[in-house]
Amino acid sequence: MTVDIIPADLQPVEPSYLNALRLQAAIFWVPVFLGVLVLDRVLLAETPFGGLLPAVIGLIGLSGVAIAPDRIYRRLGYAIDGRLLRTVRGWLFHTDTVVPFVRVQHIDVTRGPVDKIFGTASLVVHTAGTHNSVVVLPGLSPERAAEIRDAIRGEIRADAE
Amino acid sequence: MTEAAALPLSGDALGPPERLHPLYLLTGLGKSLKGAWGLLAAVAVLGSQERWLLVALIGIGFVVASIGSLFLKWMKLEYRVGADEIRIDSGWLSRTSRAIPFDRVTDVDLEQSPVHRLFGLARVRLETGASAGSKEEDGVLDTISLDRAEALRDHIRARRRGEAMAPAVEATVDTPPLYAMDIGRLATAGLFNFSLAVIAGLFGVTQTFGDVLGFDPFERSFWIGLLARAEPLQKLVVAHQIVAILAGTIVLVLLGIGTGLVRTALREYGFRLDRTETGLRRRRGLLTLTDVTIPAKRVQAAILANGPIRNGFGWWVVKLQSLAMDGRKGDHVVAPLAREEEAASVLQSLHWPIAPEASSWQRVSRAFIGSYAAAIGPPMILPLAVPFLGSAGLSVVAMLPFLGVMAILWLIAAPVLIVARWMGWRHTRYALDGDTLFVETGWWRHRRRILPLRKIQSIDLTENFWSRAFGICTLRLGVAGGGGFADHHVPALSRQEAQLLRSRLLAQ
Repeated sequence: MTVDIIPADLQPVEPSYLNALRLQAAIFWVPVFLGVLVLDRVLLAETPFGGLLPAVIGLIGLSGVAIAPDRIYRRLGYAIDGRLLRTVRGWLFHTDTVVPFVRVQHIDVTRGPVDKIFGTASLVVHTAGTHNSVVVLPGLSPERAAEIRDAIRGEIRADAE
Repeated sequence: MTEAAALPLSGDALGPPERLHPLYLLTGLGKSLKGAWGLLAAVAVLGSQERWLLVALIGIGFVVASIGSLFLKWMKLEYRVGADEIRIDSGWLSRTSRAIPFDRVTDVDLEQSPVHRLFGLARVRLETGASAGSKEEDGVLDTISLDRAEALRDHIRARRRGEAMAPAVEATVDTPPLYAMDIGRLATAGLFNFSLAVIAGLFGVTQTFGDVLGFDPFERSFWIGLLARAEPLQKLVVAHQIVAILAGTIVLVLLGIGTGLVRTALREYGFRLDRTETGLRRRRGLLTLTDVTIPAKRVQAAILANGPIRNGFGWWVVKLQSLAMDGRKGDHVVAPLAREEEAASVLQSLHWPIAPEASSWQRVSRAFIGSYAAAIGPPMILPLAVPFLGSAGLSVVAMLPFLGVMAILWLIAAPVLIVARWMGWRHTRYALDGDTLFVETGWWRHRRRILPLRKIQSIDLTENFWSRAFGICTLRLGVAGGGGFADHHVPALSRQEAQLLRSRLLAQ
């Protein structure tokens, strides 16, 4: 069969996206850690469990900042050819999405504050489907995102049947 | 009106402003009464305390306030019909002008409650599919005369055919219906609508409030009182508690069947499905009539549903997934109870097949059962091990009786669930025939989904750490429309199979 019609040459996203992921993880974990630390000092300092909770949360948070972004980045890939966009992500919960260009309803290129620091952008593709109607491809350079957007825009048909 | 100046309209293409029928004041009243349960409860309490003056005051106040607000709404709601769009201006404090292009109207629904029918009125709902999932409705004209409603529908239909403003001819009056239900079929459908949930609910109510209401069919005293005239039966009940329980069960089952019959009759009476030039038209209802048009081009998928019992008798429920929802209740039912050949003729009118060649069906991996059993099976070992642990095991159970109950429940439930999963696997299969994908899933809730490939919006191939250990993944298909939980997927495919199927789906 024609297995080769799906683009197989997965490309990684921008390397700077790795740092963006790290910063995002830090933004999440540092306040959590501080909160747990305060909680521990206020409530648990006198009990035999004093110091245990911050240690555990600290370890999880540290791995979340130091190890997880690396893995997320490594598992994230996309491929694109004349008519399909494919995004692959995740290991624990692995998803491999294919969207034909002709099915795309509209496209966003979004940049949050973290994206601006590291010079990345997300491509958000909306289809008419109820399930999986929004496909997000993060970590592209803004130029690349705009390039893909223009490639897809040329293919969008006016009316969804 | 000054609003036209506030919201500049390109008024030349639009018709004159129209208002709802004045009887909206009456038809709207029922709705505001429905929303006033708290008030009704207050009235009931005050009534039981015999403070009738207060009750009367509340009643009058409510009616005055409702009619006042309805009158205000009626004053402030205007609609204009143009060649290409309808404009609805509404609201008093915050004014809204909504324009709905007819090109985007998916369904035109006409609904007639008993009050509407009495006065020859109708409620019109224009579905665009834009608000699928949200509460807000797209375009509703609550009460206009039936003639106006039908004219509006014909206008939109004609517009969609591309011959704008041409006088629309009702083409379906003389042709035989595509599908219709007679009384016998209606009764059969009602029997199948027998609802376990209703029975469970009734059981709960009789057990909780039975003493207060004096209605608990599981109590001997209930039957003794009832059977005061029939002495032998009364003696039987006095002698055996089991008879009361049996009789109570029968009463509840009969009530469940009765509820199913009544609900079905109210909704499906006079069911008639016609093929019109552009789509399907469905009329049904006993007290509240509904008249829905579904454009053929907007149908995204067909779903044939049944369960073990319907399946055994060879019945299907035929639904169509469209961009808009069927009155917020999910997919459009186009045949509540149909034989396979009747369902086939309905789909045939859309030029859709109903089944692939029998040989092209393919089963999914047995890991569908294995991965499930491996997840819920192992905890069964714990309760089974208790006897072998001797006194230690027993003392744990004695200390934590809750754990013991849980373990026994698990021991009973897990094998049942695994067997159900196995039955589900036996009823799961898929086929790709021409440009249509067929997926059958489930045993208790059996579904055959018929999906033209050109309606597939996106394809997800998903696996997680658990399914990966069993070498299976799931192919999820994004399809437009349908309810939030509508999900077309092929479960438990090997990775290779899934990739092959995906590329075949995309090859079209």
